[in-house]
Amino acid sequence: MSLCVSADAGLCKFLNRRGDVETSFNRLSGQAVKCGFGLQGICCRLCSNGPCRITLKTSRGVCGATADVIVARNFLRAVAAGAACYLHVVENAANVLKNTDLPYPGEGLLDELAGRFGIGAGGSKEKAAQLAGRVLEDLYRPRGERMELVERLAFPRRFKRWEELGILPGGAKAEVFDALVKSGTNLSSDPVDMLLHCLRLGIATGIYGLTLTNHINDILAGEPEIGTVRVGFSVVDPGYINIMVIGHQQALFSALQRELETPEAVEKARQAGAKGFRIVGSTCVGQDLELRSAREHGVFAGHAGNNFTSEPLLATGGIDLVVTEFNCALPGIEDLCERFRVRQVCIDDVAKKRNAEHLPYDFGDSRAFAGKIMDAALSSYAGRRKEIAPDIPEHGFDGAVAGIGEKSLKKFLGGSYKPLIDLIAGGQIKGIAGVVGCSNLATRGHDVFTLELTRELIRRDIIVLTAGCTSGGLANLGMTVPEAAEQAGEKLKEVCKKMGIPPVLNFGPCLAIGRLETVAAEIAGMLNVDLPQLPLALSAPQWLEEQALADGAFALALGLLIHLGSSPFIEGSELVTGILTRDLEEMTGGRVLVAEDPTQAADAMESHILKKREKLGI
Amino acid sequence: MCRPGKLEGVDVKAVMVYLDRCYGCLTCSLACAAAHSASGTITGAMRERVPGRILVEAAGKQPVPILCRHCDDAPCVNACMIGAMQQDPVTGLVSNEGHTQACAGCWMCIMACPYGAIVQAPRGERMALKCDGCRGRETPACVMACPNGALAYVEVDDFAGERRLKLAFCLAEDMTRDSRAYGG
Repeated sequence: MSLCVSADAGLCKFLNRRGDVETSFNRLSGQAVKCGFGLQGICCRLCSNGPCRITLKTSRGVCGATADVIVARNFLRAVAAGAACYLHVVENAANVLKNTDLPYPGEGLLDELAGRFGIGAGGSKEKAAQLAGRVLEDLYRPRGERMELVERLAFPRRFKRWEELGILPGGAKAEVFDALVKSGTNLSSDPVDMLLHCLRLGIATGIYGLTLTNHINDILAGEPEIGTVRVGFSVVDPGYINIMVIGHQQALFSALQRELETPEAVEKARQAGAKGFRIVGSTCVGQDLELRSAREHGVFAGHAGNNFTSEPLLATGGIDLVVTEFNCALPGIEDLCERFRVRQVCIDDVAKKRNAEHLPYDFGDSRAFAGKIMDAALSSYAGRRKEIAPDIPEHGFDGAVAGIGEKSLKKFLGGSYKPLIDLIAGGQIKGIAGVVGCSNLATRGHDVFTLELTRELIRRDIIVLTAGCTSGGLANLGMTVPEAAEQAGEKLKEVCKKMGIPPVLNFGPCLAIGRLETVAAEIAGMLNVDLPQLPLALSAPQWLEEQALADGAFALALGLLIHLGSSPFIEGSELVTGILTRDLEEMTGGRVLVAEDPTQAADAMESHILKKREKLGI
Repeated sequence: MCRPGKLEGVDVKAVMVYLDRCYGCLTCSLACAAAHSASGTITGAMRERVPGRILVEAAGKQPVPILCRHCDDAPCVNACMIGAMQQDPVTGLVSNEGHTQACAGCWMCIMACPYGAIVQAPRGERMALKCDGCRGRETPACVMACPNGALAYVEVDDFAGERRLKLAFCLAEDMTRDSRAYGG
């Protein structure tokens, strides 16, 4: 079996020691030969005349579709699928909110949003139900009807631009639906129209899938508060019954968190021979849990790692139950769960595993539902611990800064973003880079590009805000502890040391990309400029999947530069590549930059930031 | 050993690779498997678990198709203790199939081949598998299947001639540019 390629030396050491365990790291080399047609996005299998490929000899498919049409169709389908994923998440969150009784830990935010949405007086329960209703109403609108909350949440200058461009989305689900229709066999063959549709999906993804999901989760589980946490495999304590959660929907775990903390639950665990229950964070939902428990962790053990650390985490044998509700639930965990005798429960069938028991989340009776999960964990624990001895390596970091959100950051800065703006204006911080999105294995190795790019950026005095698997990776690599300031450039290092912060600020899950947008909008608002004018650049260096492309479409609609470490399968079309990497800048201000080398990527992001500084006269 | 074709002054055809045209789509390998399967189709070959005999390796991001070169005085033929691996005196094709002596699966040929172009038959069968030049086909299946023309079944001297001409144009262009720079 081949060796692990990850920036995380501790992870590699563990995997090399456990050479008998097969994970994605072993399967990578077997997939090293990549199909060039797929890479360029010029393979079409929409009809039985195909699959057709644009080759050196054939410039059109049987139907007459050019490379431009095939690439645009494939891209639109990918963005639509990614948007669908995030919209599923916000739909569930809204339904949980509608069915949850008081108290709401984030009641202040509920009041604030009720005010913004024009929800009249009434009790909190009534307000919550109405707010959830308004979100759902928008999601279910027909495509011809504009969604109402966009205007209430979007940065006003952006909203205006979107209106001028005619890319304000109709009902979000209908937009996804018609994207599929449009990109079907012998339907649209207008690449430009399909790319505009991507922008509409991006707006729906950003405002609803990201921002509103964050808001609802903040109401249900409390707003982020800054604190320090332990990260990595060492968060797993074999003395407890450990429930590993995989997905993106913290709303589905609030009831479980509450139940596992009760004295009755602890007693049940004790009778089984454990000290109690623990929820072990894995993938984005772990990041979300970490975000809201940096001060008070309760039953949350901590975040163990991002998408591709989930298989190795199972190989520690320290996990007693896996609960899946969304991605990244790698198919590879199925065999590992069998081997390490870990029972699997799936609470949302969009993330159903072959050998998992389907126990759908009960919106009506979340308490009884939580009890069922607890029982599954108890029975799995009792059965497996006789045969499997946990083998948990020393891995991760203590003192990682977490709990950063748009509000907790502002509070930390003294109630206003002005100190940050002053540091940027004064040149102590050159600019802001959002290093976001996934991790993958193919773009230089697990978290490798993310780490190299981040180091390059902070070395240039550019502060890094991170959200998604990038942040889980960077935390496990020690980049979110205050001592990481030593790796920053002189000016940024001084700022970090003075403030006691790391040069990389962990905002949590990929959903928190929406929080970065809020931070940017607040700064732009204070400066009285539009988002594209800010000394800000985004990168999804190791984007993995369709959701990342939907996030990227949002970034483009916001007018931001978004770097990708590998092409989003568009290079077969000059037209699509030209629009996304160049021409779009004149419309929204945003553009895609593909750079496969971290230093080159950092150079391009830095020069973008410098150009913006120059235009702002700072 | 000279083959009759060469004696008559007729060049031998071989599968030649244009590396810059290879997209790594593996269609060649699938078509090869199909050609050597009972069903004769790609999906059938996948079902029968027939492997392709042309292998594509990833050298970083560059896919590189590798297949038997059917060498004269081939190391695999010399290494074959049982005499199953033979070069056809007429076609020049090297194969361990269709001869009186059956392959014993000793893997000596695999050890001897400098290209790694010989592999083990699937399911643990003691049989070495390699390109047989698609006997009975005018053009090998891999060449027919390549969507990008990265594989060509051509007379080797023609291939070399084409290369020479390309190089000649490059050199001439360089010289013209250099002399202009010099003259200017």
